[in-house]
Amino acid sequence: MRFVARIVILTALLAGMIAAPATARAAAKEQAPLRIAFIPYENPEQLIDNVRPAVRFLEKRLDRKIKFFITLSYSSAVEALNAGKADISFMSPLPYILANKQTGAEAILGEIYRGKSYYQAKIFVRKDSGIKTLADLKGKSIAYVDPISSSGFMYPHDVFIRAGLAKGGLGKPEGGFFRRVYFAGGDEQAIRSVFGGFVDAAGVSEYSINLLKQKERDELMPLATSLRIPSHGVVASKRLDPEVRRRFVEAMLELNKPENRKYLRYLYGTEGYIQVNHGTYKPVADMARKYGFLKK
Amino acid sequence: MIAPARLKALLATFLILLALRFSLPELSHADIVPPEKLHPVAESYRRSVFILNLNPVVWKEVWSDMDRIASHLSGVDAAAAKKFREEIAAARRIAQPAGEEPDMVKARKQGSRAAFNAATRAVASTLAAHIKKAGAASDRETVRKHLEESRKIFLSFAEALPYIDPSAWREMQIGWLTAFSSLGTPGVLGAGARPMNVRKIRAEIEPIAEYFRKNFVASAMPMGKGRLLPRPAASPTYVKNARIPARLPPGANINKQLPRPRQLLGMAERGANESETGLIALGDMAFDSAEIFGEPARSLRISCNTCHNKGVTNPNFFIPGLSRRKGGMDVSNSFFEEHANNGIFGHLDTPDLRGIRFTAPYGRNGRTASLREFVRNVIVLEFNGSEPDPMLLDGMVAYMNEFEFIPNPKLKRSGRLNQKKASAAELRGEKIFYRKFPQLMGGMSCASCHIPSDHFLDRKSHNLGSAGGFAPGSLDGAFDTPTLLSAKYTAPYFHDGSLPTLRAVNEWFNRRFGLGLTKKQIDDLTAYVEAVGEGVDSYEDTMFTLDAELEEFSFFLSTYEFLKAKGKKELIMITLKTVATEIQGHKWDVQDQKLLPVLNKMESLIREAAALHAEGKTAELDAKLAAYRAVYGKYAAVLK
Repeated sequence: MRFVARIVILTALLAGMIAAPATARAAAKEQAPLRIAFIPYENPEQLIDNVRPAVRFLEKRLDRKIKFFITLSYSSAVEALNAGKADISFMSPLPYILANKQTGAEAILGEIYRGKSYYQAKIFVRKDSGIKTLADLKGKSIAYVDPISSSGFMYPHDVFIRAGLAKGGLGKPEGGFFRRVYFAGGDEQAIRSVFGGFVDAAGVSEYSINLLKQKERDELMPLATSLRIPSHGVVASKRLDPEVRRRFVEAMLELNKPENRKYLRYLYGTEGYIQVNHGTYKPVADMARKYGFLKK
Repeated sequence: MIAPARLKALLATFLILLALRFSLPELSHADIVPPEKLHPVAESYRRSVFILNLNPVVWKEVWSDMDRIASHLSGVDAAAAKKFREEIAAARRIAQPAGEEPDMVKARKQGSRAAFNAATRAVASTLAAHIKKAGAASDRETVRKHLEESRKIFLSFAEALPYIDPSAWREMQIGWLTAFSSLGTPGVLGAGARPMNVRKIRAEIEPIAEYFRKNFVASAMPMGKGRLLPRPAASPTYVKNARIPARLPPGANINKQLPRPRQLLGMAERGANESETGLIALGDMAFDSAEIFGEPARSLRISCNTCHNKGVTNPNFFIPGLSRRKGGMDVSNSFFEEHANNGIFGHLDTPDLRGIRFTAPYGRNGRTASLREFVRNVIVLEFNGSEPDPMLLDGMVAYMNEFEFIPNPKLKRSGRLNQKKASAAELRGEKIFYRKFPQLMGGMSCASCHIPSDHFLDRKSHNLGSAGGFAPGSLDGAFDTPTLLSAKYTAPYFHDGSLPTLRAVNEWFNRRFGLGLTKKQIDDLTAYVEAVGEGVDSYEDTMFTLDAELEEFSFFLSTYEFLKAKGKKELIMITLKTVATEIQGHKWDVQDQKLLPVLNKMESLIREAAALHAEGKTAELDAKLAAYRAVYGKYAAVLK
């Protein structure tokens, strides 16, 4: 249902795309620059070079200067939105839910990756570990990525709760099931920890395995897959002028056109964008409440 | 029940997703290994240790890496950085001594050791200094910053320590995990926050600092007689005789180019199928196989196709210490085949193999008349392979002889420009190409050596002065005339790849021989040479290659019956191992990841077939291959 609702909005938006009149464009040019925060999923220095061509494309489409910056973390991006220092931010689902609650920022666009508007977390173990089921992990160790991460903690943690093996939440990540839970500080560190045999399992995004070399990937296997997580997206500050927000969404959706897709690879290598709203992330919010990230 | 409007909308978005899915120019390619993202200190240390183990050592690159290590160290421990710079200056005096006829072997070995020891101490000191700063801080951001720096610098030792001190390595890795977990999180504006446990962090990271201080800063490390490696001699768990796998240094790139160059095989273009031309299929397999090489190329999965991607070139290929620039390397080096090393850092640009049957003799200096002999030397002398089976060499030559130049409608059969298709500048350039210059080697023209009616070459070597000789007045700088066909796509140029464009080549000739060509004439000549070097559809129009690769593996396996009939057991094993390795390398490219188990099955069937072949169980092997063919036949249409 959520998906269908999103589709209706997207279609209406695509059908209603109208170029802004020239006078409005001239006025917009004189306005203050639009400020966009990028979260460093990758090396921040590399990201600056990476996003520049896409930013130039958006400046042209919006006829307005864009000031962009790479934040230190999701937390700084949310602070920037809250303090009025950023109008737009790229963001992952759980930080968005917390940001929405704290600042009123709202999701406007979702990514398409590998043809999907969602992704999943997986529980990986070494093939030679003898671990065949989730239950075999009782009393063992697991590496997640970060406590405030959808695919890097909340969703893989939920896998064990749903399987009836653990009873946890943010305050009790071991959930009476694991001997030890680690937060490795990054997807690569988490997947490398299980690959290296330093932990018994890793609960990470399904794409984390691609951070290993091909030969290495074959030494791991997924034990379980989480529920679907709505993909990473773009959020707008509640202070952002609705007209600017509308035009920004319009410009971003233009990236889906074949002639503009070359710019997409500068935006985290995504394949395209669809319009979303806060409702898209409702399942994430529900789970965040369930596990103590949000007050009920 | 979904309303018609919603249904329409659903369909619209489905189509958008579908369009995005299938028309995107670039998706992830699993066979393309992204460069490892290392801390600058770890990158410099690992690269310089790799280079210091080579003969000759490219000192310029080592000193530049040492400088990076020193810069970072000075930010955390100025006194240690000062000492390190002095040690490197001393190592430099040892390695590159002044004076008459120094013992260069001794200088290289002692200089390398001195630089290696100093660098190892400096990196360990940097790591310990960051750990100290992390332990001394109390605010989360500072602790996190120094923890991250130190964990990244720790990876300087990731090539050796996991093998020579595995238990300490594991313990330290768990220490990092615990320390990072103890950082807690500030949450998002306080929501979801978890407190930091500084005491626990200190307890985990201080032993790591102590390990590095004890083993690499304070102790005088054993030099060892062989490879330079950070040896933790003070560690009770140090495994002295551990085997350390070969690795390429940071900055190396052996990924193939994308989009792939278009390969034209003569027999295939004429309608023959590789599955019915067994010898050619065998050669194709061998060309893609790391199994025909020895170590370390085999473990690193380097094959002929790595450098001559699709029989052309690989403009991205680069190995620090072995390559002076992208697109080639010194092929007689101490890394791939120590005993065939000539001791000289002589970078060679990788030549395009298209039309190779017309381009004898082989080697940049045209030293080998026979392609078969040349290929054998590459396998045995350049990449440490065993003496190849004669049939394997026959296959490789048969395959390479099918490499065609890409068609060029601008050229007539005579090699002259087709006046109807060429531009005015190209036609003016052609006239210059044929013009004889008294200054050019006694009245020659460009066309004298690049003979248009004979594939734009003369099969001779000429000394143009493009390389310095071993001594003033020496005449050892002659190189084989390269063809100009397809040259537009094979930059850089000259035997050492020193000229980046065809225009730069023309300018070089103009300068070197004082031809007196004006800028406009150089423009015209360049337009002409580029027209000669053009071709139709020189690159493949798709970035998705899995289906083509799987089809090719079927061709490789099509040689099985023929090899069995000829009793070529070793070649069957090479074929099976190659196919298994290739499937493993390409299977992650599958766009629908749900099909990964099918590819896993195909890979394991081939690995099982190889095991059966090793045991001489032919009937079971036949059944395994039949099973592979059945699985592939069933899924071929969807494996993309």
